[in-house]
Amino acid sequence: MRINTSRFGRIDVATGDVIRFPSGLPGLEDCREWALLADATNDALGWLQSTTRGDVAVAVVSPRRFVPDYQVRIPRSELTPLDIADIRQAQVVVVVGTTGTDLTLNLKAPIVINLEARTGRQVVASGELPLRYELTSTRPPLKKSA
Amino acid sequence: MLVLSRQRDESIMIGDSIVVTIVDIRGDKVRLGINAPAEIPVHRQEVYEAIQRENLRASQLQPGDTQNIGAFAGRSSTPRPGDAPRR
Repeated sequence: MRINTSRFGRIDVATGDVIRFPSGLPGLEDCREWALLADATNDALGWLQSTTRGDVAVAVVSPRRFVPDYQVRIPRSELTPLDIADIRQAQVVVVVGTTGTDLTLNLKAPIVINLEARTGRQVVASGELPLRYELTSTRPPLKKSA
Repeated sequence: MLVLSRQRDESIMIGDSIVVTIVDIRGDKVRLGINAPAEIPVHRQEVYEAIQRENLRASQLQPGDTQNIGAFAGRSSTPRPGDAPRR
């Protein structure tokens, strides 16, 4: 399918590569179908692009690459809708945000993708985790969640 | 808002598939049990709203805003976020 995106111009996405989010994303509940794109210049970055709204996309990263001690604990009830028995079957990415001056990672609400079934969902991880983990050059290590 | 009074172990049905049960009442804290279809997410309201706000802010980011994110990345040992899955 061809999508006219505001960030990347016109792109082609194979139907089989589309990821279905039955509940959309909080705040973007109507966006149920997404494509995961690699960033052109940054190999650590991806973009989750809505296939129905060309202006809607969020930047995502693999959290462990930026927060090596990030251990996500997701209640089973959050994984069941994705048909995932074990978090290791899933790809976990986190959304990149900003404070205005620094980029941030949403470690509290990661996005879990069942690559085989091509479904995804943003879940709420257990424990005290930041909604906006700031990427700055000096920061204390992530607190272990309770 | 519909306001109902319930005692412990009593339930409320929302639509035909959501059941909310009072599991425990202790002091000023109520423990609620929720039975809902898997496709209906259930969250504490303030948490959900915070995530909504954060997603909307994040969805404003443009590629130019993220260009120096690589400086914070460690070495790659896992598939890139945009890699096509191995079939």
